[in-house]
Amino acid sequence: MTASTVGSSGPYDPLEAIRRADLTPARPRELKLMVRDWRSGRATKKLSEAIFDGYVVLFGVVLVGAMIVNVVLQAQRVVASCATGPCLSGRTVLPWAAYALAAAGALAAARLFGPVLASAAEGFWMLDAPIRRSSMLRARMAGIIAGAGVICFVLGGLVSALTGSTWTSILIWAAATGVAGAGAVAFAAAQQGAERRLLTKLATWLFTALGVAALLAVIAVAAGWVTLALPTGFNPELGVALLGLALVVLVIGAVIASARLGRIRRSTLTSGGALVSGISGAFFALDLGLVRDIVVERRALEIGQVRSKPGRSVGLQTLVWRELQRLGRAPQVLIAVAVVLVVPYAADALGLGQVAPVFSALALFGSLIPLMGGLRVFTRTPGLARCLPFTTGQIKRAVVTVPAIVAAVWALLATPAFAGFGQGSTRRDVVAAFLYAVAVGAAGFLGAVRWTTAKGPDFSKPAISTNAGAVPPGLMTNIFRGFDMCLLITAPLLLNLSPVISLVLAGIVALFLLAFDFEAMRIQSEQQRKQMEAERAKRNAARK
Amino acid sequence: MAKGSNTVVRVSGLRRAFGSTVILDRFNLQVREGEAIALTGRNGAGKSTLLRLLVGADKADEGTIEVCGTPMTETSAAIRRDMATVIDDLDFFPDLSVVEHLDLLARAHGVENPDPLVDEVLEEVQLVPQSGQLPGTLSSGQRRRLALATAFVRPRRLLILDEPEQRLDVEGVTWLANRLKNEREQGLAIIFASHEPRLVQTVATRVVTLGAPRAGAENLLAGTDPDEVLSADGETPVADDVAPKPPKPQAAKQQGGKGGGRPGQPKGRPRPRQGGRR
Repeated sequence: MTASTVGSSGPYDPLEAIRRADLTPARPRELKLMVRDWRSGRATKKLSEAIFDGYVVLFGVVLVGAMIVNVVLQAQRVVASCATGPCLSGRTVLPWAAYALAAAGALAAARLFGPVLASAAEGFWMLDAPIRRSSMLRARMAGIIAGAGVICFVLGGLVSALTGSTWTSILIWAAATGVAGAGAVAFAAAQQGAERRLLTKLATWLFTALGVAALLAVIAVAAGWVTLALPTGFNPELGVALLGLALVVLVIGAVIASARLGRIRRSTLTSGGALVSGISGAFFALDLGLVRDIVVERRALEIGQVRSKPGRSVGLQTLVWRELQRLGRAPQVLIAVAVVLVVPYAADALGLGQVAPVFSALALFGSLIPLMGGLRVFTRTPGLARCLPFTTGQIKRAVVTVPAIVAAVWALLATPAFAGFGQGSTRRDVVAAFLYAVAVGAAGFLGAVRWTTAKGPDFSKPAISTNAGAVPPGLMTNIFRGFDMCLLITAPLLLNLSPVISLVLAGIVALFLLAFDFEAMRIQSEQQRKQMEAERAKRNAARK
Repeated sequence: MAKGSNTVVRVSGLRRAFGSTVILDRFNLQVREGEAIALTGRNGAGKSTLLRLLVGADKADEGTIEVCGTPMTETSAAIRRDMATVIDDLDFFPDLSVVEHLDLLARAHGVENPDPLVDEVLEEVQLVPQSGQLPGTLSSGQRRRLALATAFVRPRRLLILDEPEQRLDVEGVTWLANRLKNEREQGLAIIFASHEPRLVQTVATRVVTLGAPRAGAENLLAGTDPDEVLSADGETPVADDVAPKPPKPQAAKQQGGKGGGRPGQPKGRPRPRQGGRR
């Protein structure tokens, strides 16, 4: 609507425009069509280019997809022939774990992002207009629910297939997990409409606990601690029952969420959009550390205020105490470390003792990252470190003390797993098992340190020419940071070499990551070089 | 004013260029205890670049910087102990409250019972109501006040501030000017960049103007002609100071500045390296 269409003549009168009864607000569909109309003819690509790009993408997806499907099918055939206790327990219980953990993941992601969200531009231009917000957001909500459903469907299907289930079971569990994910998002959307988060949070914890319990059950059954005597056909029946339950939640959640869509505040919608925008930007730069920073900052914003605690001690010790206090403020990060303790036991119970060190180190690496918040703050920008009267090396060592202790406790608790207890596992004496556990703990810990201290790609430096175009230095290598340390330190264990070699490697890595101050060393050597040059110039002048 | 004879900062022959653009060339500066140096000049003149070099956040192409006799290394514990900085790269713990940040800094610097000091500084920067808030929830002005508080809650011999008046309200700028003046009078050395005439007038014992002025912007610091400021406390510039004052109106053209260089130096071209430096 323009000024010329309102008011008969003379200058535009906004009050008169409001008073006129024949004015009706535009519908969201009309606005969208108008925007589409404006955009038409402004394409940046020719049709032939778009078709070519589409063809390349389609070809790539089909090629990679076919490879993945082939690998999954082959694995399914191999695992299906396995009839040992660990295989049977995994086949029965792992789909339950996938179901619960997929629902928990969907709930957590939905709570973080909204799940219903809008971009800042939509928030400013469209949500401010007198339109029916619910009709604008309904299609989006449906898309988000469907997307969650598809992702969880694939996840559930993969887990069932890789545990050697029959095709009927695979389909049933894939559908059940998919609908569970979709239902979880619909439930979170219904809660978002009522501006409530507690139930979503509780449900997330409940499903996480169920998923972890299922994983523990796999180990317990495989190790022979528990006998799982289920009647034939129980698992598919359970899958159908859970599918039905999830379907009910999905339908009810979607109906309630749809009815409450108009009530969601603009700030709630746009904050989710801003988060997605920030995270997607960080993903484009392949800066996973930044992704985590954005999420952490978002959580801190939600908390807003804390009961301040006085510090303890002085000097470097005060940093260690503060790290401990920060851990006490968010002890849930320890749950992840505790859950990861399952990995070496599960690997050993399933007869995968040989690769247990690698899997365990990688899992520990992931679970320790949330404990490295202090290190991250001190290394992402130098400003705060500059405020403290210590060298950067001293600061790093102080703030990783608490995570190092956690990793050490983890190693101690994981020692029995490396001693071997499952069917067909490698038996080791206690000392060797302890050295294995320490090496794995060190690998996970140093991997997390390396990941946390990684600098983002430097876009200010000249880009490197590649087949994929100009790439800023460090963009590709950044992805592997942390993983490389885990693999390097555990490689000798994988090759059945002495764990002492792993420990020596870990010591060298620790020196590089936590002890040497390369910046100070560089400056010192530069100063020495300048001094030598000055001395040489003096000597030359004296000779002349 | 408690102006001491000890040199806190000594900068010799500093050069910094970005590509062909020379920001600083043969820059010399000596700051003693009780001195406050105001860096002024148009946007892009090199004030922040100079401050980043002084705190070690950036590396000079040539030249040396010493803080209390120690060659500048950003990671040096001795320099970090002596130098408090407020430039734009200060980060905060997302899960530590305002008061916890100040407590942490004070304790890290060896203050055994920091509560009275922290409370006093919190009150000064008017963040008492926000003391339990997490930094992410603070407004930009409040974050600025917190950044300033981090400099005042710890022992220090040198203060380096980049446009400390940014995002402060009028009352805040007045407070800051008086606070910095007191710091200087107690013998601290201060180097700060500012666009705020009141702050420069109240705090500075010397003004160093970087870069060339825009047309009509010569009188931005009305009444704060370098000579006037220098004479405010009866001070005279040190012999090897950066800003030898050529006759007006070229006063601001002499030193650094993007594409500036020294008088007679064509803009945008790097000055060839010269061996003989002061």
